[in-house]
Amino acid sequence: MKNYLVRRLLALVPVALGVATLTFAIIHLVPGDPVVAMLGENAAPVDIVGMRRQLGLDRPLLEQYAAYLGGLAVGDLGESISYRKPVSRLIAERFPATIELAAAGMLVAVLLAFPLGIIAGSNPGGAGDLGAMGFAIVGISIPHIYLGPLLMILFSLDLRWLPLTGRGGLAHLVLPALTLGTALAAILARMLRQSLIRVRESDYMRTALSKGLSARSALVRHGLKNALTSVVTIIGLQMGALLSGTLITEIIFSWPGIGRLLISAIGARDYPVVEGCVLTFAITYVIVNMATDLLYAIVDPRVRIS
Amino acid sequence: MTRSGVLTVWMRQTITTARLRLVAQIGAALVALAGCGHYRTDRSPATIQVDIETSPTSTDPRFATDAISSRINELIFDSLVKTDRNGQFVGHLAERIERPSPTRIVFHLKHGVRFSDGRELTARDVIFTYDSILAPESMSAKRAGIEELKSIDAPDSYTVVMTTALPYAPALEMATEGIVPAGTPLPAKGTAAAPIGSGPFQMVGYARDEAARLERNPYYPYPSGAPRSILFKIVPDPTVRALELAEGVCDFSGNNIEYDVLPWLAAHQFLKVSKTPGTTYKYLSFNFRDPRLRDLRVRRAIAYAIDRNTIVNTILRGAGRVATGMLSPENWAYEGNVTTYTYDPAKARQLLEEAGYTADRSGLRGLRFEYKTTPEGARLGEVFQAMLQRVGIELTLRTLDFATYYADIQAGSFDLTSLQWVGINDPNSYYMVFDSHKTPPHGENRGYYSNPAMDRLVEAGMRTVDPEARKVIYAQVQQLAAEELPYVSLWWVDNVAVMNRRLVGFDAYPNGSFRSLATVTLSPLGSEPPD
Repeated sequence: MKNYLVRRLLALVPVALGVATLTFAIIHLVPGDPVVAMLGENAAPVDIVGMRRQLGLDRPLLEQYAAYLGGLAVGDLGESISYRKPVSRLIAERFPATIELAAAGMLVAVLLAFPLGIIAGSNPGGAGDLGAMGFAIVGISIPHIYLGPLLMILFSLDLRWLPLTGRGGLAHLVLPALTLGTALAAILARMLRQSLIRVRESDYMRTALSKGLSARSALVRHGLKNALTSVVTIIGLQMGALLSGTLITEIIFSWPGIGRLLISAIGARDYPVVEGCVLTFAITYVIVNMATDLLYAIVDPRVRIS
Repeated sequence: MTRSGVLTVWMRQTITTARLRLVAQIGAALVALAGCGHYRTDRSPATIQVDIETSPTSTDPRFATDAISSRINELIFDSLVKTDRNGQFVGHLAERIERPSPTRIVFHLKHGVRFSDGRELTARDVIFTYDSILAPESMSAKRAGIEELKSIDAPDSYTVVMTTALPYAPALEMATEGIVPAGTPLPAKGTAAAPIGSGPFQMVGYARDEAARLERNPYYPYPSGAPRSILFKIVPDPTVRALELAEGVCDFSGNNIEYDVLPWLAAHQFLKVSKTPGTTYKYLSFNFRDPRLRDLRVRRAIAYAIDRNTIVNTILRGAGRVATGMLSPENWAYEGNVTTYTYDPAKARQLLEEAGYTADRSGLRGLRFEYKTTPEGARLGEVFQAMLQRVGIELTLRTLDFATYYADIQAGSFDLTSLQWVGINDPNSYYMVFDSHKTPPHGENRGYYSNPAMDRLVEAGMRTVDPEARKVIYAQVQQLAAEELPYVSLWWVDNVAVMNRRLVGFDAYPNGSFRSLATVTLSPLGSEPPD
């Protein structure tokens, strides 16, 4: 297990290097000038040149790249051009909000997906299945940008139960988490349904029933646990979608997370912030998938981490 | 019984009324735990919330150039002069202004004006502010705006003298910089603290991408019943801004609500939608480096092909006026008697024929242009595309994110584009956008328009101090611009403010200023939406 963890953590290095290189190349290749974005169109050319020099943007791209990698090697993500703060500090300030939102979105997804998936998978073709899968289709089809305002209208404007925007207590978290988690819930519910259908046809389930176990007990004690393996995989893989979903959700709900920071940094061509945020997302994704692999061993005792 | 049948029976048995009640109880407990239940914002009644779309780029008036920063800073910092509703400069910190020669302006400061820390504002603070903008290490974008300034001096504590090298008619525009106390450092790395000012409010908190909180300057008198603080909340999504108004969380939104939702908001009894004439000028710009667009007949054909009245009445829902030029009728130098182009597709086709662009069987003329825009402007681009196709011109839309779009426009990489000028006050703006020497990066003549007659006029307008003589010059400028069409004038955008009716006495300025938020009073009536 220890060796496995070390190996996986070491694998992070080439992943981080690859992501850093790609992000650096893409953000520097797209048109747009951070200095003009910051100083404005009316800035004196001498100031634009001076600011470019001050920020090191006048150096050859390869030199800038080498400096960026050198900084990364010692954990320095550079300094934001527009915020004038260290990028690591900006990310540290915002990342908890994004993690909070992503975790709540995942919780919502799991809480919705499990009952729906079990209802659908227990009786394929039945009313419960049709209802649950109907929800799944709607859940997958509605984009965050539409679902968010719909939930706001219902729960904030009409029922007046929840606040519209911002980050605060648990009440502020409910609507963004629902917005973020619904699509994932739909995917997970469909996966769980398929797994349960497959599991129900397996020999061990027949054996369990022939031993006299009720269908409910057989499903809960034997079926569900086996069906979960594929669902756990999907949860890990969907973390990327969940993190990218935070970009839109944070904008809609004025949530002060890293997604919103990234969007505004792209607009301002704040290269260090864009690079830092993308790298953070990538590393989070890899770590979550590593955790998912570890979770297999708990869900399925046949899996050995080595 | 099959296995699925067993499960179905189990499901039916388990979902009993009692279980449903239990589920409802758990739900209610969770809602209570979440602190929900008829949610209300906890802000003080004496605080008003204003939703803005982006963060101010700088809380220091020596650096901020964007509209949001300027509007917030105007509530915090005083300047020597301000503009009135007609774009005329009037004394603000200066109780009296003298112009002893075309190159000298003397400002006599008011006595007893205090910064929010109690210090008195004197000429020393004014000199310090301008010196710190002009200092090379500041790299302030505002340096270019005061580059005509040769010197600024303070003969005594209440007199400031500005001198320019040459007569400079819009010199008073240089006197609109917000004044900070002497010794205020340049924005240091990592600090977000805003300097203090002598205006009605002081900034007491600012979290970028979240909110800025303003509280009253204790040394600045304000009417009883006026709000004691303003929360500028950054809400990027336009739909959410509308929802916040409808929920009663937000008290005021200025020029950032989509036209489509205005009727819905107006139907809320506790909200008031105010539409007042604005000075924001929307235009269609040509790239004169393209020989086809250098042909006046082609530009005029495009002007005739665009049905601006219909666009104003549909897309803008009537919140605009068809424009004749950059200066709106409220401006002292406005000249309305210029060449106009009312919608006339037949005339447009005729002009294109004359220019040698004959139509093929499908009606197209082999004239294809690229129209660059941002996602927000794509809808308007589609309208232009349809209208121009009717006269045989093909428009290819390229929608880009703002930074890419802006870089392309700056680099002159476009055929046609549509932008707007916000906050036009002095007609010297014509010099910045139409003088042939003011192409990027030296100015905003992004279409590379060049006409010696225009150059002579705008340069004369800049150097002529006598207002009557200037007015004559700018009447000619406006006529020449309407005749030559470096821009097709589209419309002046109305100022649309949506506000809670508890705000009494809001007085809209044509340039969209938030200035009167300092003088509104709060009425307890109409503040909350009905339950």
